[in-house]
Amino acid sequence: MNRRRVLVAMSGGVDSSVAAALLKEDGYDVVGVAMRLAPDAEQKSRPVSGGSCCSADDFEDARRVAERLEFPFYVVDLRADFEARVIRNFVSEYLKGRTPNPCVLCNREIKFDRLWERARALEADCVATGHYARIASEARGRFHLLRARDGAKDQSYFLFSLTQTELARTLFPLGEMTKAEVRAKARELGLANAEKRDSQEICFVPEGNYAAAVERMCDAAHIRPGKIVAPDGTVCGSHPGIHHFTVGQRRGLGVAAREPLYVREIRSESAEVVVAGRALLGAGGLVLESLSMVDPSPFRLGTLNAEVKIRYRHAPVGATISTLSGGRAKVVFRNHGPAVTPGQACVIYCGEEVLGGGFIQRAL
Amino acid sequence: MAARLAQLPPTGRTRNPEFSPRPLPPRKPLRFKPMRRIYLDHNAGSPLRPEVVRALEELAAGNCGNPSSIHMSGQRARRELERAREAVACAVGAKPSQIVFTSGGTEANNLAILGAVRGRGCRRVVSSAVEHSSVLAPLAQLKREGLEAVLLACDSEGRISASDLRLALGSATALVTIGLANSEVGTLQDIAALGASVRQHDALFHIDAAQALGRVALDVGTLGCDLMTLSGHKVGAPAGIGALYVRDRSIVEPIMLGGPQEQGLRAGTQNLSGAVGFGVAIRTATKLLAEEAGRMGFLAERLWERLREEIPGLRRNGSQLARIPNTLNLTFPAVEGETMLIALDLAGVEVSMGSACAAGAVEPSHVLLAMGRSRHEARSSLRLSLGWSSTAEEIGEAAARIVGVWRRVAQAEPAGVREAAQ
Repeated sequence: MNRRRVLVAMSGGVDSSVAAALLKEDGYDVVGVAMRLAPDAEQKSRPVSGGSCCSADDFEDARRVAERLEFPFYVVDLRADFEARVIRNFVSEYLKGRTPNPCVLCNREIKFDRLWERARALEADCVATGHYARIASEARGRFHLLRARDGAKDQSYFLFSLTQTELARTLFPLGEMTKAEVRAKARELGLANAEKRDSQEICFVPEGNYAAAVERMCDAAHIRPGKIVAPDGTVCGSHPGIHHFTVGQRRGLGVAAREPLYVREIRSESAEVVVAGRALLGAGGLVLESLSMVDPSPFRLGTLNAEVKIRYRHAPVGATISTLSGGRAKVVFRNHGPAVTPGQACVIYCGEEVLGGGFIQRAL
Repeated sequence: MAARLAQLPPTGRTRNPEFSPRPLPPRKPLRFKPMRRIYLDHNAGSPLRPEVVRALEELAAGNCGNPSSIHMSGQRARRELERAREAVACAVGAKPSQIVFTSGGTEANNLAILGAVRGRGCRRVVSSAVEHSSVLAPLAQLKREGLEAVLLACDSEGRISASDLRLALGSATALVTIGLANSEVGTLQDIAALGASVRQHDALFHIDAAQALGRVALDVGTLGCDLMTLSGHKVGAPAGIGALYVRDRSIVEPIMLGGPQEQGLRAGTQNLSGAVGFGVAIRTATKLLAEEAGRMGFLAERLWERLREEIPGLRRNGSQLARIPNTLNLTFPAVEGETMLIALDLAGVEVSMGSACAAGAVEPSHVLLAMGRSRHEARSSLRLSLGWSSTAEEIGEAAARIVGVWRRVAQAEPAGVREAAQ
């Protein structure tokens, strides 16, 4: 009689649809929700008369899945929270010359915080998403966040900031599955979105044009044009604003040189973009801030040998992590490491397990 | 630390016995206790009345053709259509020839506004900020076409004042369009006073009575209007049928062009089953009006009293005196209306909030905003509307469920607190 109710965040894609289906099969009382997040102004590409809905088509896909699998489905409007907690940060980070990762923030602030409040109000015991990651529990009631079985799809990087309390009420039904298995399951269930393409973009940035999105969402006075300089200070050119650049970027510099040039550093105070050849790109380590550990109990102040992943698509590299004051930590790569992009998440792994992570403050 | 980490599984496939995936409940078919659903959204659409269902079954059994056809089947269809037209006309004190069937209230409003204004020399239309979107959107269109659309403000109860209307009227006014009963808060406008002002000018007077039909008595003569919108599914007819009362055929130009149906004012084969259902529904609703309005009013008051006792700070929106009896618009303290709406639905109580956008999310009500409520207040307001099928037992049960859901939601997702923090 007392079935566990789970609120499943549905995007209309195949992953969250199959996640909902698996929970339904397992006997959960599934309630599907699609979140309306992107602000109206970012939805111009798809005009809908009588109201502007970001992804009305995607929501329709999710609704169809809910109808087919016979569970209730609702669209919830979390635009105000998304704007306040994710977009503002995204814009201000870019204007500071940093490269934010809004998906990490969205997970922490919206899916596993704001949506959880909503879930509790709807008498749900937990929230589920279609993320590829696993949660393991110990008998002692501690939870571990692990990589997904499908290494190619693993999304644990975006989830490093989940805490014990959040993991306790979260389900990732796809953690043990590969993408191919998920699609096969969707076909078996006859879901219309079984072959739907994966989304690659940040949901509120149309066509992946971050700079244009930042300009639309900020005051023109905050745009910071400046000079492009070599490491020795020689001016190589000028640029329309530091928000156009990310460390490690090669394209779109507008500077002719004998060897390919990359962005090595963005100096926020002087609005200078430092470019250099590949050899000068890497760093020996980094300082991260807003350190958050999945299970903080074993980590007091101290040193830890583990691996870090400093961009979603990078392979983890060996590093020594030592905690500093003020929620910061120093990460020293075991070998000379890759380019370090301030603003991105630096996630600490030990084998399969996510120990925690933070946001990159600066390279060392 | 190192010892603990050494226990971790090296790959995803091997399992440390200490690391079991989170236990899932056993797979077994679970039986629901059937939950009685309570429908409190009659302003969006009432269930079909049993009389209507019977009439539609009879109609489907008979062989009716196209009402415009010459043959016997066509003539039968024509006869049914005209009987329905008589019923609608009779219910509002009009002549059958003054009733134009449309696809619903929205089309009737479009026809009234666009059809009456285009082709007239006058350039100005006067309406109010609390109208339905099927009035506001055609007005916005006329504005884009270069006409002047004036939207009167309302007071905190949603009432429009006749003196404001007098100030807005001028010799160039083609049309005044006002909703008799507001669909969201239930406030009734003082049509006698407003109409008197309109008649001092040469403007046409259109009343959107979609939400008033079946809740209060309607008579086009008493109301003194030139055009009046009616909608079928608010009184227990199927959705997809409505009507426009047109005092004189010459005051409106058609917006739908094609055939000569509906005296040339609305081309296209008529929705016969819809019209027949509308005829039966409006006849029944008119016959039972006094009884149903009395019962809905009594139950709505009882619901309000019960909720007010249990929910401190609950606020009722709209006019206390001039309103339709079936509508309660309530601002719930410390909750998101959207969450309340969903939680109530999961608890089997069906209510509404503002209007749904294309994706199905809810927007705060423009009516409440026009009445001076904050966005936050508008976002925590719900509309509960009763109808012909509401019973005392249902209302008692609804009150208990609403109180329970409110307590839980206010505790789990305290809206006011978060709003202040942002």
